Amino acid sequence: MLNRSERIADILAGLLTALVLLVLYAPVFISAIFSVVQVNDGRIMWETFSLQNYVSMWSNPSVIDALRNTAIVAVSAVAIASLLAVLLALYAEWPGAIFRRGIEIAIYLPFLLPPIVTGLSLLVSSAQLGISRGLATIIIGHTVFVLAVAYRLVLTRLQSMPRALVEASYDLGASRLQTFRFITLPYLASAIVTGAVLALTLSFDETLISVFLAGDRMTLPLRLWAMMRVGFSPEINALVTLVLLVSLVLAALVAARLRIGNSNPE
Amino acid sequence: MERLLPRVLLFALAACLPLVLVLAPIGTFLVLSFFHMENSQIVPSFWLANYANFFRNWTYFGTFLGTLWLCAQVTAICMLLGYPIAWFVWRRSGALRYFLLLLTVLPLFMSYIVKLYTIRSVLGLNGLLNQALVGLGILGKPSLLFMFNQHAVLGTMAVLYLPFAILPIFLTLERIPANLVEASRDLGASPWSTFRYVVFPLALPGTIAGALFTFVLALGDFVTPQMVGGTTGFTFGRVIWSQFGLAYNWPFGAAMAAILLATALLIIALASYSASRQRI
Repeated sequence: MLNRSERIADILAGLLTALVLLVLYAPVFISAIFSVVQVNDGRIMWETFSLQNYVSMWSNPSVIDALRNTAIVAVSAVAIASLLAVLLALYAEWPGAIFRRGIEIAIYLPFLLPPIVTGLSLLVSSAQLGISRGLATIIIGHTVFVLAVAYRLVLTRLQSMPRALVEASYDLGASRLQTFRFITLPYLASAIVTGAVLALTLSFDETLISVFLAGDRMTLPLRLWAMMRVGFSPEINALVTLVLLVSLVLAALVAARLRIGNSNPE
Repeated sequence: MERLLPRVLLFALAACLPLVLVLAPIGTFLVLSFFHMENSQIVPSFWLANYANFFRNWTYFGTFLGTLWLCAQVTAICMLLGYPIAWFVWRRSGALRYFLLLLTVLPLFMSYIVKLYTIRSVLGLNGLLNQALVGLGILGKPSLLFMFNQHAVLGTMAVLYLPFAILPIFLTLERIPANLVEASRDLGASPWSTFRYVVFPLALPGTIAGALFTFVLALGDFVTPQMVGGTTGFTFGRVIWSQFGLAYNWPFGAAMAAILLATALLIIALASYSASRQRI
């Protein structure tokens, strides 16, 4: 039973929610609309609809170059981070592990600290070691940033794994390597993939660490930032809409995977 | 036992990487913060002049305090708006709840720079707001009222970080067992009393942790103040950033980053202490 004051609170909170969602989403939709039609004095000219901005964006070599760099960085960083996450989770659960707490802190720090700290600490140390900035340094930056997410998901899954599975495997004469290959790894697979998709989303958007490590190489967010400083163009609206679509697809993948993970814990 | 050595070596390698890639670089810049510049060369030394400069020079120390104040305001706005929203979503059920949760979480997946761009394209000189106001005859010519001032920075940061505040509050609310709320109701408590004495206290540690993390996020931001604040949005992150760019004084920048690091670590420690006091 809802009484009156409760209903009023619900209505007010509901109105606030609707208003805030409008503020959060309206700019996004407006940019998407700007990318396909012209706007004069705040009025949308639907008859000017065209995909020209998308075509001219594809013929911009700096955008294509940034897109390729982003893909290289994201795939490399996610692959390294996923591999490391599995090794580190196995290590954390290994009885002989030493210095476990310190290593966990090191894993989580880049995710919790302001990105500016991670970015410039890697910048300073690569300068000290004489490593020039480029894709390799961006990959390192992204790897330490996304590792926390990948590690957390793999570790949670590993901790839920019944000991009996591993013991049964040993009893049946499997070696350590075989047990890992045929029992542990398949058990962890879904967590590794979810972590990888989440890490991919983070890497795709990462700006504040990359800016310190990029040198003269540009990832997509950095290119967008540079384009924004110059000014507005319908072409940027097209690129922005495309980036949003990619983020949406990745978000949908994560949502679907987490839902499967919840309903079917095996 | 089978061969133990390969496993130990593999583990040693994996365990060392976070130390080499995270802790060692942080250590390196902490060391750099004690160095100094001579004829645009970084000279190894041990002196505290960088730190002394920071505290003596009001341009830097004042910016630091101003940034803390800005982040406190951003956090306050995010909590005041985020709490009722999280509460509203928490009280829905079924598909509506899942859908609303998805809508509030989705902005977390959207690119930070893209969100900034879209906000600028609404508030900017040629933005939709100005075009509409001019088109309606309310304004004679486009105004810079909505951009390049402190309010724009505050508002934009609040919009950017609000979803980061809503999610942790929702997650702590969701951990409250339904039977506690029902018991309170059965014992004759009014909805307000139930909220005041059951829901709010139980969710408080998680809420505080969420607020502190929002604060840290705002603290490290150096792009938003530049993009919507222009010359007025001079925050601590931008000051540090400029030492690694135009100003070119890496040791001084490192010293200020060390102060940022110390502040962030303090807040993170407070947040994890608060989260550990969660009794549900």
